[in-house]
Amino acid sequence: MAATFFGEVVKAPCRAGTEDEDEEEEGRRETPEDREVRRQLARKREVRLLRRQTKTSLEVSLLEKYPCSKFIIAIGNNAVAFLSSFVTNSGVWEEVGCAKLWNEWCRTTDTIHLSPTEAFCVFYHLKSNPSVFLCQCSCYVAEDQQYQWLEKVFGSCPRKNMQITILTSRHVTEYKTSESTGSLPSPFLKALKTQNFRDPVCCSLLEQPNIVHDLPAAVLSYCQVWKIPAVLYLCYTDVMKLDLITVEAFKPILSSRTFKGLVKNIPQSTEMLKKLMTTNEIQSNIYT
Amino acid sequence: MASRYDRAITVFSPDGHLFQVEYAQEAVKKGSTAVGIRGTNIVVLGVEKKSVAKLQDERTVRKICALDDHVCMAFAGLTADARVVINRARVECQSHKLTVEDPVTVEYITRFIATLKQKYTQSNGRRPFGISALIVGFDDDGIPRLYQTDPSGTYHAWKANAIGRSAKTVREFLEKNYTEDAIADDDEAIKLAIRALLEVVQSGGKNIELAIIRRNQPLKMFSAKEIELQVTEIEKEKEEAEKKKSKKSI
Repeated sequence: MAATFFGEVVKAPCRAGTEDEDEEEEGRRETPEDREVRRQLARKREVRLLRRQTKTSLEVSLLEKYPCSKFIIAIGNNAVAFLSSFVTNSGVWEEVGCAKLWNEWCRTTDTIHLSPTEAFCVFYHLKSNPSVFLCQCSCYVAEDQQYQWLEKVFGSCPRKNMQITILTSRHVTEYKTSESTGSLPSPFLKALKTQNFRDPVCCSLLEQPNIVHDLPAAVLSYCQVWKIPAVLYLCYTDVMKLDLITVEAFKPILSSRTFKGLVKNIPQSTEMLKKLMTTNEIQSNIYT
Repeated sequence: MASRYDRAITVFSPDGHLFQVEYAQEAVKKGSTAVGIRGTNIVVLGVEKKSVAKLQDERTVRKICALDDHVCMAFAGLTADARVVINRARVECQSHKLTVEDPVTVEYITRFIATLKQKYTQSNGRRPFGISALIVGFDDDGIPRLYQTDPSGTYHAWKANAIGRSAKTVREFLEKNYTEDAIADDDEAIKLAIRALLEVVQSGGKNIELAIIRRNQPLKMFSAKEIELQVTEIEKEKEEAEKKKSKKSI
């Protein structure tokens, strides 16, 4: 408490925090309306795991329902395009479910009629080997939804005898290095693995002080905590939209143990990729 | 902490970066590739044609523009910024001709463009131009010139250079293949430009545009047929070189 020139008593700001009594009183004054709003918002942002064909929710987490030995997760449009061209085309994959979610990044405010491209993570398993799983996630999973997503997919007590591979991409300007960004050979691949991952990685490891963000980081942290062998392949690129050269930068991982047997016809896959690029190209006249 | 120093163009970061200028250089990388080669008697500009929408008039999507009868430039980056810079440069060329009764030298007009770009890195409220340019031409003394400018307002003379997407790959190719023999002959210089572009252009010759200026001659734009001819010749030469190699190894 301090006195001012004009005789009024003004409470001086204290960096140690306000006195405890005041804080408790103010914090607890939450109206029923606030609670209702918060409840509605939580419901809106809920991550729901559905069986695509029946549109009913899965009662247990995905990996508790189905046994899994290998799980490949593609996050972001370039990683998804890579798996679509090289992996899902080389075998018969059956859809087992999808995760539906809404957050501020979705272009629509309608939480019920979300379009598949924006708010779905689709899960598949290989028909010839149902313990091999694949996830194509092209939507953004917000920070508060990541834990829910992990719980709904992995469950609260995951098995340790599975191997997780995560693919994602990031803009090269976020890569911290002592070299100048102009001299970086983008796109390039970096890997980050959990302690229990013993297989060789297909590229150099991500150096400090670089960090991983968003859902890939959440999955990797989860795997590290639960001692599940997992590896993340992160492609740093200078083109954030769907781009042929960025997708092709993922090619070195096709030689890893995870992808053995999953990729059959590489030239055909490259053709598929080219077709995917041309159908997705949005005409833009900004840059020439 | 780039985010605190990239809001206003006129602010230096603590380690001396002008982030807006560096980000403008990223915008340049979003444009398709352009390559320039300075030969002994010819200057060549080759660009990767951007894919044009079905209903779009191809003639309005131009990357190579004449600034005067003896100077032309190719750019990479923001289309609208390029249009503004090209207009100003064209006016300056004519103004110079009327004032001093001499056409501009290539260096003069490059310096003009570079000075213009630098001004926009030092005024508040404005952002830098998001283009790099390759300016080629012949001066009155008959010497061929190739200059490159970038968003920071610097300009340098080059023997051969590339800008835009995949410029690094093209530059490496040029470093390996630019020899005095290669550029002594006009046709070889043209082929070198096309070969450099074919390194990075998808779907070959039909996505390449080429322009040349020979000493004392006006700018010539190659037609699609002429480019196809050159590409076929290059492919033939490649095959023959590969046959020779396989014969040698046997």
